[in-house]
Amino acid sequence: MADSGLQAEVTAERPQTSRFWRNVRRNPLDLIPLLVLILLILMVVIGPFLYPHDPARANPLSTLDSLSSEHWLGTDELGRDVFARILSGGRVSLAVGLLSMLVGLSIGTVIGGLAGYFGGKLEAVLMRLVDMFMAIPSFFLILVIVTSFGNHPAVVIITVGLAFWAQMARVVHAEFRKFRKTEFVEASQALGGSHSRVMVRHIFPQVLPQAVVLASLGVGWAILTEAALSYLGLGIQPPLASWGNMLQNAQQYLFLKPILAVWPGIFIGVTVLMFNLLGNTLRDWLDPRN
Amino acid sequence: MLVYITQRLLQGVLVLFLISVFTFFLVNLAPGGPSSLIDFQSTGAQREARIKQYGLDKPVHTRYLSWLGSALRGDLGTSINQGLPVASLLSQRFLKTLQLAAAALLLATVFGIILGVLAALNRNGFIDQIVSVVTTLGMSIPNFWLGIIVILFFSVQMRLLPASGSYTIGAEFSLADRLRHLILPASVLAFSLMPNIVRVTRSALLEVKASDYVRTARAKGLVERAVLWKHTFKNALVPVIAMLGLITTVLFSGSVVIESVFGWAGLGRLAIEAANGRDYPVILGVTMLVGSIVVLVNITVDLLYALVDPRLRHG
Amino acid sequence: MKKLGTLVLLFIASVMLGAGVSAQDYDESAVLNFATNADPTLNPWTPGAVIESNLINTILFEQLTRYNPEDLSPVPGLAVSWEAAEDAMSWNFSLRDGVLWSDGEAFDAEDVAFTFNDVILVDELGAQSATQFSQVETVEIVDPLTVRFVLNSPFSALPYYLAAFSGMLPEHVLGDAENPLTEASFNKQNPVSTGPYKVAEFVPGSFVRLEPNETYWGEAPKLAGIVFKIIPDANTQVAQLLAGQLDLVNRLSPALLAGVESNPELEVLRQSQNLYFWVALNQEDERFTDPRVRQALLMAIDRQAMIDSILEGYGTVATGPIAPLLGAIYTADVPDYSFDPEGAKALLAEAGWTPGADGVLEKDGARLEIGMPTGQFGDLVPATLLVQQYWEDIGVKANVDVIEWNAYIQQVVVSRDYEGTLAWWSQPPTPDVTPYYSCEARSSGNNIPNYCSEDLDAIMANGQRALTPEDQAAAYGEMQTYLAEELPYLYLWYPDILSVKNTRLQGFPDINASTAFQFSEQWYVTP
Repeated sequence: MADSGLQAEVTAERPQTSRFWRNVRRNPLDLIPLLVLILLILMVVIGPFLYPHDPARANPLSTLDSLSSEHWLGTDELGRDVFARILSGGRVSLAVGLLSMLVGLSIGTVIGGLAGYFGGKLEAVLMRLVDMFMAIPSFFLILVIVTSFGNHPAVVIITVGLAFWAQMARVVHAEFRKFRKTEFVEASQALGGSHSRVMVRHIFPQVLPQAVVLASLGVGWAILTEAALSYLGLGIQPPLASWGNMLQNAQQYLFLKPILAVWPGIFIGVTVLMFNLLGNTLRDWLDPRN
Repeated sequence: MLVYITQRLLQGVLVLFLISVFTFFLVNLAPGGPSSLIDFQSTGAQREARIKQYGLDKPVHTRYLSWLGSALRGDLGTSINQGLPVASLLSQRFLKTLQLAAAALLLATVFGIILGVLAALNRNGFIDQIVSVVTTLGMSIPNFWLGIIVILFFSVQMRLLPASGSYTIGAEFSLADRLRHLILPASVLAFSLMPNIVRVTRSALLEVKASDYVRTARAKGLVERAVLWKHTFKNALVPVIAMLGLITTVLFSGSVVIESVFGWAGLGRLAIEAANGRDYPVILGVTMLVGSIVVLVNITVDLLYALVDPRLRHG
Repeated sequence: MKKLGTLVLLFIASVMLGAGVSAQDYDESAVLNFATNADPTLNPWTPGAVIESNLINTILFEQLTRYNPEDLSPVPGLAVSWEAAEDAMSWNFSLRDGVLWSDGEAFDAEDVAFTFNDVILVDELGAQSATQFSQVETVEIVDPLTVRFVLNSPFSALPYYLAAFSGMLPEHVLGDAENPLTEASFNKQNPVSTGPYKVAEFVPGSFVRLEPNETYWGEAPKLAGIVFKIIPDANTQVAQLLAGQLDLVNRLSPALLAGVESNPELEVLRQSQNLYFWVALNQEDERFTDPRVRQALLMAIDRQAMIDSILEGYGTVATGPIAPLLGAIYTADVPDYSFDPEGAKALLAEAGWTPGADGVLEKDGARLEIGMPTGQFGDLVPATLLVQQYWEDIGVKANVDVIEWNAYIQQVVVSRDYEGTLAWWSQPPTPDVTPYYSCEARSSGNNIPNYCSEDLDAIMANGQRALTPEDQAAAYGEMQTYLAEELPYLYLWYPDILSVKNTRLQGFPDINASTAFQFSEQWYVTP
């Protein structure tokens, strides 16, 4: 078909991949966060199959044990193995983090993209909506929604995503706006390309790098938010374990067994740190000034 | 200028109205009722009688309109669970949050700007790396967990600082006592706010340093130091001001959790108690208050923007 | 020799009793510091706000009767004597003369009549615990110091209930109020009361300070004041206790005792209450109507192990709704269900339940899969999770659904939309459990399992007619046996109510907090 004019754009995108390898060679340490994350994900996905203890199996006869070869991180107030709960809690926290980020990303991209591309009245209305959402402190919004709709994991995921989409929309809007009046878009339109085709095939790939950076940082933020929510009793409910609700239980036992509060916090911190470092690295690589 | 301000204020009112409708209808969807009315051991007959007493059996839109009517006349109603007027509850709790937020903001801004400037001056050097580590940690560590650890260390183990509350109850007013209670929660909250300020200060400073203003100033022959202070700094302020505006929302969100950890009797805790206890008048009161503040701060920030940078002024 | 020793002891004892506690024995300037979780509402009948207000209201608003700190039988408070009529359909109470309200007005029958006729018995107001007096028709004024409680059915437990958080309200202050339960100037600032201490200062969000009531009718208060600090967080309360800034923390979770036990200035009080935890199985569900099923499900649970883990051992396995603290009326001589999973399986098999393909027990197409909504409150979640596990071991699958407290009340208590659930009941120390077990209490009352048995109703009615301790022991003994066999609720445990007190506080009855607070005029601090 009449895609010949766009061939040039496709080849223009290739240098990005070789840029990637150039950056890696220059500073191999930057890959560490990615590796740690892969390790963590493998651990929580495969770990439960390898580690012999059931995270939900309570044992009232041996509560609050210290770490041992039997129980790598000891047991909690109901005698459940802490490491097993860290693993299954990790699955939940990571899943919620990734999924809510995706929710926020999708909504943000669609709304930001529509606003930036079409401009005019649509842009004005949508960006006001974005402003309104950014004006509401995320926590209050989440509080109200979770109180009203209950704390089923799906609700938690959507709510955390809703608190994040506005920032995404802002960035995507700016990018789409930039590209709205460029030559290749006008060319594509002249050649009869539909709006959606232009947006998806031409503009969006340009926005992708920015989106990836925001996504990485977003997962970190989502994990922290879910943890805080669960800590307050508003997020993931027992018996499902999440790093956040493990901290809620632990605070009651601060006098008796303070170490219970340390493990979930460390795991959350390390995971979010890795996502943040990854995001920073990606941002540096994509910064046109470098 | 005046037209612009009025325009923004009107938009703000619209936003507040929408928020009130949204919140009211949403919260009334929640199952259950005010916790003082439907407590666990009361009977069905008692519950029904109390619900009727408080007019909660009327349809939602009727109740919203009656709330709106009173609110417009300045009466925010009475807390169902606490029996106190909402307005006095709000002002009392808001002052507490303000103390915490102001202290945290002060700490975060001071340290944030200092670190940001140091990092910019020392770009990619050792200090810049350290600052980068600190800020990334600040964004990664869950602040409520940090709060718990800090309490564990300073209060339980070392017995140095109080574990919660904003002052020693019953004792006479003492600034030292207030500060002792303030320092832990404010520091923890500041630690999570700081990264944003550092980042923005650093990048703004770097950007301006390499920009036109500075080249022009240098061309004029001004001494390096004067260049830095007079032009760089003033223009770097622009995004920093923007960041401060954004921080307000972050501040409210952050304080909600920190107030819970440290037992600080502020607005965040009130919101959680009211949400869990289905105290409708209080929930609406809090939402309106927070919404108004955010709207006003955003308008102020935009105005400051315009003041600092004439290019951004609107006609 | 022994006789002489005894005489000497008796002599010393009588001298001490005669001397009473003299001024040199206590510190006149001492101020006690207590804690409460939230701003109290200074009105014993206002709905809600119970946990944070109960104790302070007990000091302020005196009751017609009080609990004897030895055996929890009713003893004089604002009433000096009482007597039931021959037909048990009314009670006459003689009121104490010379009692003054804190504003100087005299306390009399008008106040009692007002508190009941215009507050408690007015259904529309929804007063707290009003259902405890549902058998009271009206209160008549016989003369300024005598009232008659006219009943609509025999009510032998009346004097007990009158001692349970049932303070009197001043008619001359609240008589004209539109709603005597929501007067903020009274509830949140300046109430008028008869107790040994009255409110001096109420700073919202911070503290309520009490000072001695000069017009008090009884023994002069021995403290300079009592401050109730508002501290929502339990960890903080313990921290302040350890630092000597609090003298008493009530209702401590066992997990927090670790910091306390080694401190010589602090004393742990193990108290009890008429409170029991239970599992309710909805009787509208056919699977649970067979008593053998209920008995088996109880046998499958290792209650002692649960007490040892969740309560750190601070509790006793429950035999029924009446706790051992009710002394003579309590009997442990009832059917017992020790932990026996094999026995449980056998009993269920006898009732026709056999393991299905996936291990879950089945009968006639129905599975023993139980939906268990659980409220997010206190120990309910860990307890339910343990029960789920014990049941899983015998082939019963419980699906635990943790919901927020408010939503839980709506679903389970109001709508009865549950199959099984775990919670607790707390009652004044009276053996009468009608509101939780009678056929009448099913739909809108507190009979959450919807259990109905005419035999049980008859037995409970006997109890209400029993006016002498012997009759009561007999009637309630029969009731406890019946309940242990039938298990309308699966009885789990009576938790110990743990309080920690600073040893400087003396004269504090240690049977339980609510009784101790009824005798605040006896408290003193060693110098």
